[in-house]
Amino acid sequence: MRRIQLPLSQTQKVRLQKTLEQLESLSSKVNSDASVIIADSIPVNHEDGVLKGHGTADLNGEVVATVCGVVERVNKLVYVRSLRSRYKPEVGDIVIGRVVEVAQKRWRLDINFNQDAVLMLSSMNMPDGVQRRRTALDELNMRCIFEENDVVCAEVRGFQHDGLHLQARSRKYGKLNRGQLLSVPPYLVKRQKQHFHHLEEFGIDLIIGCNGFIWVGEHIEAKDDMVEDQVSQSDPQVLLHNSVSLEEQERNYTILETRKYICRAANAVRVLSILSFNMTLEIIKGIIDLSLSMNLDIHEMLGSEFCVLVAEKEAERRSSNKKKR
Amino acid sequence: MLHNKSFVKKTRAGKVMKQVREHYLRDDIYCGAPFCTVCDTSGARLNASPSTTILVVDTNVVLNQIDLLENQAFDNIVVLSIVLEEVKNKNMAVYNRIRALCSNSTKKFYVFSNEYHRDTYVKEMSGETKNDRNDRAIRVATQWYQNHLGGAVKVLLITNDRENKRKASEEGIFAETVESYVKSLDQPDLLDLLVRPASEDVNMEEVEDLRPSKRKVIYSEHKPMSEITSGLHRGIYHQGKLRVNRYNPFEAYVGRESIGDEIVIYGRSNMNRAFDGDVVAVELLPQDQWQEVSSLSIAGEEDENEDEDVHLAPNSADVAPRTIPQQGSSGQVNAVPNRPSGRIVGIIKRNWHSYCGSLEPMPMPAGSGGIAHALFVSKDRRIPKLRIQTRQLENLLDKRIIVAVDSWDRQSRYPSGHYVRTIGEIGDRDTESEVVLIENDINTRPFSSQVLACLPPLPWLVSSEDLSNPIRQDLRHLLVFSVDPPGCKDIDDALHCHALPNGNFEVGVHIADVTNFVHPGTPLDDEASQRGTSVYLVERRIDMLPKPLTEDICSLRSDVERLAFSVIWEMTPEADIISTRYTKSVIKSSAALSYVEAQARMDDSRLRDPITTDLRNMNSLAKKMRLRRIERGALTLASAEVKFQIDTETHDPLDIGMYQIREANQMVEEFMLAANVSVAEQILKSFSLCSLLRRHPTPTREMLEPLLQTAAAVGLHLDVSSSKALADSLDHAVGDDPYFNKLIRILATRCMSQAVYFCSGDLSPPEYHHYGLAAPLYTHFTSPIRRYADVIVHRLLAASLGISKLPSVFQDRLQLSSIADNLNYRHRNGQYAGRASVELHTLIYFRKRPTDTEARIVKIRSNGFFVFVPKYGIEGPIYLTKSGKGNGEWYVDEQQQKIKRMDGSLSYSVLQTVQIHMEVVEPQPNRPKLQLTLI
Amino acid sequence: MEYVSPEGLRLDGRRPMEMRQIRAEIGAVSKADGSAIFEMGNTKVIAAVYGPREVQNRSQISNHALVRCEYSMANFSTGDRMRKSKGDRRSTEISLVIRQTMEAAILTHLLPRSQIDIYVQVLQADGGTRSACINAATLALADAGIPMRDLVTSCSAGYLNSTSLLDLNYVEDSAGGPDVTLGILPKLDKVTLLQMDSKLPIDILETVMQLAIEGCKAIANYIREILLENTKQLEYRRGV
Repeated sequence: MRRIQLPLSQTQKVRLQKTLEQLESLSSKVNSDASVIIADSIPVNHEDGVLKGHGTADLNGEVVATVCGVVERVNKLVYVRSLRSRYKPEVGDIVIGRVVEVAQKRWRLDINFNQDAVLMLSSMNMPDGVQRRRTALDELNMRCIFEENDVVCAEVRGFQHDGLHLQARSRKYGKLNRGQLLSVPPYLVKRQKQHFHHLEEFGIDLIIGCNGFIWVGEHIEAKDDMVEDQVSQSDPQVLLHNSVSLEEQERNYTILETRKYICRAANAVRVLSILSFNMTLEIIKGIIDLSLSMNLDIHEMLGSEFCVLVAEKEAERRSSNKKKR
Repeated sequence: MLHNKSFVKKTRAGKVMKQVREHYLRDDIYCGAPFCTVCDTSGARLNASPSTTILVVDTNVVLNQIDLLENQAFDNIVVLSIVLEEVKNKNMAVYNRIRALCSNSTKKFYVFSNEYHRDTYVKEMSGETKNDRNDRAIRVATQWYQNHLGGAVKVLLITNDRENKRKASEEGIFAETVESYVKSLDQPDLLDLLVRPASEDVNMEEVEDLRPSKRKVIYSEHKPMSEITSGLHRGIYHQGKLRVNRYNPFEAYVGRESIGDEIVIYGRSNMNRAFDGDVVAVELLPQDQWQEVSSLSIAGEEDENEDEDVHLAPNSADVAPRTIPQQGSSGQVNAVPNRPSGRIVGIIKRNWHSYCGSLEPMPMPAGSGGIAHALFVSKDRRIPKLRIQTRQLENLLDKRIIVAVDSWDRQSRYPSGHYVRTIGEIGDRDTESEVVLIENDINTRPFSSQVLACLPPLPWLVSSEDLSNPIRQDLRHLLVFSVDPPGCKDIDDALHCHALPNGNFEVGVHIADVTNFVHPGTPLDDEASQRGTSVYLVERRIDMLPKPLTEDICSLRSDVERLAFSVIWEMTPEADIISTRYTKSVIKSSAALSYVEAQARMDDSRLRDPITTDLRNMNSLAKKMRLRRIERGALTLASAEVKFQIDTETHDPLDIGMYQIREANQMVEEFMLAANVSVAEQILKSFSLCSLLRRHPTPTREMLEPLLQTAAAVGLHLDVSSSKALADSLDHAVGDDPYFNKLIRILATRCMSQAVYFCSGDLSPPEYHHYGLAAPLYTHFTSPIRRYADVIVHRLLAASLGISKLPSVFQDRLQLSSIADNLNYRHRNGQYAGRASVELHTLIYFRKRPTDTEARIVKIRSNGFFVFVPKYGIEGPIYLTKSGKGNGEWYVDEQQQKIKRMDGSLSYSVLQTVQIHMEVVEPQPNRPKLQLTLI
Repeated sequence: MEYVSPEGLRLDGRRPMEMRQIRAEIGAVSKADGSAIFEMGNTKVIAAVYGPREVQNRSQISNHALVRCEYSMANFSTGDRMRKSKGDRRSTEISLVIRQTMEAAILTHLLPRSQIDIYVQVLQADGGTRSACINAATLALADAGIPMRDLVTSCSAGYLNSTSLLDLNYVEDSAGGPDVTLGILPKLDKVTLLQMDSKLPIDILETVMQLAIEGCKAIANYIREILLENTKQLEYRRGV
């Protein structure tokens, strides 16, 4: 059994145990026996006619699970939503990736999927914002846009013959600077209306990628792009110049206060990851607030005591939510 | 069920290794008392009535008092697994005996696995020695029994360890020493079986006058085990099994590869209380103390007047007295001794068991009826005398008894032991025969009911299933007959031979199909595997298989249908094998001939009946085969086998004579050899790693040295470079008298080691060679009724033909090797026993018949020589000087192998014929021996 | 040597049909996509699964997932602390065995153009490392959410002193007798691995194999329990 990997004192252990039991009781009413593991048969009513979805297979007329997870039923469709597994892309998902390769007219991005995703040069909004055919020169200068190991935010475009394609046709997408990339199991991220969050009180951006990559960075005004847009022309020399100016920008100073908040937010995500709790803005914010209200140092957020506390708070929150309903 | 683990550290020799072992503690180990209300009583073995005391014995009690435990008076005993384990580590023989007791259904011995029981497992405490921990474990288990069974049952711990007893009493456990417990049983004769602990020597001073000096330290101390281990490690000491010379108990050998030769140990003080078979640590003596060949004289040394007995002429190097190599150089004075001598510094593992013998004659002690101390002389000369205590001296003086060794401390010249049981009167033929059997570890017990249950119902006949079995060929139409010694009841081979239309011959060897009745894994099979061989004594036979099988069901008697395993060849008239076929069969023997009858038929030219024709055909084939075999280099060796004519009523020998070998014998032998070789090839082809074969190692030059010396002395050159060369030179060794050649062959034979069984996976193919037969492969197939090896070979052959499955034993090479070892051991013991029986009967024969006869000198010694009496096949010493006196009168010419009187008036040389007188004398009452004197 | 006493106890106090104590833990390597520790008595192994991920060697891309496996023994896993060279014949063989066994269970056709790496390392060796590795790998694969036909469980059985013994430990293993390592798909009731490097009569092999199957099933039950508990925990901890 996957245990929470924390050095716990005896009392903390008891508290955590109690909290977990509480969490269990809270959720068990919803789906008690929906959890299945590999090769478990899933009870279905064959007369209704079933559509076997992901994570299921047919064994002598029986529907069995092929992964560990939770059985979901949508009308006739029966599928198993797997928990801990790699990211399963859906069109329109906002993901964060890391460039692993700059290839012909495309970047390859690691997005925690079975294979690397492709971001075509043509699926990119050019920095100048002008819609036009990409020239050979553009291809040569791809590295001015994204280099290897750059963190990029993009949207899932869909499957093509050669793999998963992404697109970044909006200003909100693109390269991410001055912040931290965190990786959590993708099942902890629920698809929501909004994945870009601006936490104004801390001056930071929080992008919760559907693929379990979470970005915490300094808030960047969309305006910045505009400024650059004005400067940059289709002239390649300007592009070169542009890259220089990016470097300059990098040298720009992010104030300590913001950096601290970035770390705080990152640690909040880490705590949730340790506890395997769902990642939502509300909860992350709650944890940051909790740490601030307790006057905790950033590093103390990863201590056992705080983790247990977060777990307790989360249990409290969930039970109050439940009551409200 | 699985409870707890503990970790044990272990170190191995030299290298420290941490070994972690799991140890599961259980709650399903039961106490074994049938009246227990808590435990599962299905496996209970203890006495059903709770009023009987339950005894718990400790390790030393089992190790020392095993004879006592085997007595009927001891029963209702709990044997703890820790005790068994300790016993196993210390003495395997005792372990086997206690195991036998535990599985004996008439005894109520229960094994309690205390080491695996949740409540009785004890952890080693820091600073506690292994022994203390085990003692504590025994106490804990005893306590557990007491608590478990409640106050109604008395649980008694038997221990001789004072400390253990004191601690037990402190913990509220009833504990007693063996002695006090035996006394409480009120059976005085049990006390004789009791082993006195060494520390109680003090009260025995009245017999100390048997020894030359009181309380003198006679032997040097054994080094502590740690010192021995480090000594062995540094190469100062050498480890090995001590082998005492059968013919000179003051000389022993420890084989050791690392210094190239074995180490000789002379004298009791150097042997330092070691017994034959003990694993010992030896220290080399400085070179100037290396003794040279004191065994040149015949008689014993020190003050014990043991001297050479007359015995049967040996027939292989294994039974012959040890001779010393490089004798050529050793005659000169001050020659540099080159055999390393050593002394024993410690005994790593004792090989004590019980021994047969008699008490040394002694006057009855004054206060008769009390405890007497006596000296016991073993029949086996390799064993020193033993001191025992007895209350029944007058009964035992003229008896053969069995005595077990208990201890040997530094102050005692002789080890001390205790009386186990009486066999019978000394000199009585039955008693002496039994002694022979016991000495050679031969099981004479009747077959158990489980074994007999495996036999087919009697009367047994070939059934229709057997006939219709597709694997079994019906050969009843063939004219099959057997040729065996007269009166043979276990006929395991039969032959047939008939001419084929193409001028070739079909020759078949039919062997009793024992494996049809002896199935692997049955009690019958286990018993046969243990016995290994039938043993033939002069007046009786000890069967390997129960009598109905031996004499009826398997025996290929005439005019009855029998199951057989056949090897059938097609041979040209030149005796070349064209094809070989193996099959199970049904045969009907038409005649059971004796060698004499067969020979007579062949010789009688008037006879023209089919059997005689077949016999003649076979004989001519056999002669050709024999010739070819000899050309290949097979040795024609000779042995001085003798035959007794036994009085049918008194079983006393009436006449004694050399065993005559006829052509018919050689004919049968030839076909048996051929069958064995064919089968060996067949089984090795199918099972290259797990076949049971028989090999005869090529003798080394040293082994042949005595033969060469003797031959050189009479001016004969023998070429020993190969078996072929040796065979040729033996053929050319013709002396002036007709017996000369045979004598040389006899001498050659005793230089060879014996052939041995082995598992083919253990050796490489060149080593499979059989030297004597000059065959690259050989096995035993033809006598499954009397040899277990043949049973195994039958199974292998059947499996190789796809008739049956290969039993699982053959999968396990180790197990097969151990079976081969056991067979070799049993085979050798069987032979020793046979020889000993012949020796015994020779003695009985000459008791009433002092005889003058001719003898040949075979070995020269400083004070006499050994002679061989061809007529009776015996060998013995003749003294030229009185024993004990100096040998100034005679001197030995080693080169010439001559002994000469100083004044040159008389000389004897080797192989010379002398006239001797044979007579049975009794130097001491009840100790008859055969004496040879020169006329 | 007596490996089963007449009382029917083995050297470590087990009965012939008993397995050693087994223990499993999911999630020992946080970096990996799936990982597990599996213990059979003193045999302890750790397994980590990476993937499905981009195929490292482009030429191996196919429409099935590529499964790779690497078996190694930690230097401290045995009594003598010897440096264990990677890629010796024994570990290459075991790597291959584990790979083939796991490949038979993974639904590789669902994961085209990807590769799955399984790393197993023996932390402590006391006989039956092959079986323990397979069991650990199953757990790690399940933890990584890789679709499988069925769990694969493995157990060894042997034959010593004319007795079939389940789950041989090191001492029994080195006795030189037959050692049958069996891997099964418990739900499908199929054998995916059967190894023995010794001879055994066919009827005895059957009883030994039956024993090993029982052992595999017992392990399967245990693994199912562990996995189910794990899945439930993950689900309720995540919340809605």
